[in-house]
Amino acid sequence: MTTGPLEGVTDSGGTVGKLAVHADGPVIQTQALTKRYRSDVTALDGLTVSVAPGITGLIGANGAGKSTLIKILLGLLEPTTGRAMVFGIDCGRHGEQIRTLIGYMPEHDCLPPDVTATEFVTHMGRMSGLPATSAKERAAESLRHVGLHEERYRLVGTYSTGMKQRVKLAQALVGDPRLLLLDEPTNGLDPAGRSEMLDLISRIGTEFGISIVVASHLLGEIERICDHIVAIEAGRLLRADTITSFTGASRMLRVEVDEGIQALEDELARRGLSPRRQQRSILVPLVGDATFDAIRDALADLRAPLSRLELSRHSVEELFRESAGAQAPGQPDLVTTEVPDVR
Amino acid sequence: MSADSAMTDGAPRARGVIHDRGYRRYEGPRLGRVQIVRALMWHSFRSALGIGRGPKAKILPVIAFVVMCLPAFVNAFAVARGAPRIVTYQSYLFPLRVIVLTIFAAVQGPELVSRDLRSKVLPLYFSRPMRRGDYPLAKYLAFAGACLLLVELPLVLLYLGTIASSHSNAIWPNTRGLLGGLAIGLLWAVVVSAIGLALASLSPRRAYATGVVAIYFFLTLTLAQIIRQIAQQGPAPFPPPQTIPAGARLASLISPFTTVESITQWFAGQPKRFQPAGPVPDPGSYLPAYILMAVVLLAAGFAILAVRYRKAGATS
Repeated sequence: MTTGPLEGVTDSGGTVGKLAVHADGPVIQTQALTKRYRSDVTALDGLTVSVAPGITGLIGANGAGKSTLIKILLGLLEPTTGRAMVFGIDCGRHGEQIRTLIGYMPEHDCLPPDVTATEFVTHMGRMSGLPATSAKERAAESLRHVGLHEERYRLVGTYSTGMKQRVKLAQALVGDPRLLLLDEPTNGLDPAGRSEMLDLISRIGTEFGISIVVASHLLGEIERICDHIVAIEAGRLLRADTITSFTGASRMLRVEVDEGIQALEDELARRGLSPRRQQRSILVPLVGDATFDAIRDALADLRAPLSRLELSRHSVEELFRESAGAQAPGQPDLVTTEVPDVR
Repeated sequence: MSADSAMTDGAPRARGVIHDRGYRRYEGPRLGRVQIVRALMWHSFRSALGIGRGPKAKILPVIAFVVMCLPAFVNAFAVARGAPRIVTYQSYLFPLRVIVLTIFAAVQGPELVSRDLRSKVLPLYFSRPMRRGDYPLAKYLAFAGACLLLVELPLVLLYLGTIASSHSNAIWPNTRGLLGGLAIGLLWAVVVSAIGLALASLSPRRAYATGVVAIYFFLTLTLAQIIRQIAQQGPAPFPPPQTIPAGARLASLISPFTTVESITQWFAGQPKRFQPAGPVPDPGSYLPAYILMAVVLLAAGFAILAVRYRKAGATS
């Protein structure tokens, strides 16, 4: 336990309290992490995952266990079994020290309306352990980084949703964290606001050198800013990989014919491709030029009336939907489009 | 290294400083948990007194302090004209203290706790390097401090006014009275703020929180007085100490104010030659019950706060 001043966290790992901060290794590691509420509700079910530095998307439907994972990482919830580590520090045992390294932006509204953004972020900086003058300076800087200028002297209650989200981000940033946990940062924003918020997160992750975990139920939205994706469903790991490995694997050709689609599918399979029907078109994994030749020959042999042949923009979310369907039949797909927030 | 090379090394660097408007890491000292809690306490103490908030937030604290201190000034004038001291250090003015403290607790208690509950800002506190119990602890210490100031500032003014307006031989008895009064004031602040803050934390709706606190304090006080009057069959003047029925002696347990005041009366009434004209009867041999009650109120306040914030942190 640390009651005295914590030592500064240095760039090359350094220490927090008496604990070594492993900045080079994985940012987050969990081992068979399980959390059951009361006795029957299982929020996390044997989750083992490792998160590298950079921007990581934590994807899952509402109730998949994202918020529970975040609370365990913050050391606010004890896992039922298993363990979680941030920068090599055990979250369960050293919650206080962990929290000097993490900035947290909650999903819901969490701002008092009757203070100015400057006052609020300064106070939150103090609560992060900054001395009074540093808190003031860093509050002004954080608010500038998130794009709030003269407005920061206005009461938070007069802000738009977009500005409030920025203040929430600024208060997470004020303590100079090594890791930001952002829970649904685009919640309640219009498309333009979402785009701005994502650009901001991307800039913080790349230019500021802070690792970020963005929890979202909208994969399609955050995939463009993430280096890695961790998908969880019903508390279990669905898939964790780099975004490039997903897009690399996702080059598909979409073939559509006016008639004889079943015959074409059989013919393509006979030629050693692995076609897959998707409604009225066939998806063929693109291996190389040979794939184009095989499709051309198959179409010519069948005299099939081709109506469309295109390189499919196969987004990551479709891959997740496939693997979700394969691994957990009968379970709801990841929500890939905006759904009304019922909570 | 020669002086020349130091200059050639240093000069371009000095000239070439880029005023980087990008992100800067914080390299300065970080305060520990104790200092963070102290910062939260100080912040809350100031907002309990309306400092650092808008002008509207200052209205009630200012009125409370002015009303509370008024008798001390009146007393100073009276003493200067040769009259004896009219306000006691022990109870100051019991009804005034009850009314002002009730209103202060009912309005400023929710200011400290309901605001944060209502705006759901607690997860932001809990995600920082402090423990679950630190938040209610800081809030309690801040509120107890504000109540203490409200109770004891008038006593100090009363003392200074009395000393300044009377003869030099009044200093020692007045000092002794003041010290006793300050100790009693501490008991008032500690007990009233614990139960007041705990009740205020029950509702995130400020109006409800204010209502709960005010109703609890006024209702229990009224009940205590009614039951005492029924038990001793009539209001003041007080009967001789020996004839006070047990019911009247025990009735004051109902209200935190009369509980504290009864403990005060017991000590003020020593030696037991006479019954001082107080707002509550001397508890006599029931003193342990009153001390127990004060401890129970304090413990209940802490327990409610602890449970409240364990729940608030887990669900939000």
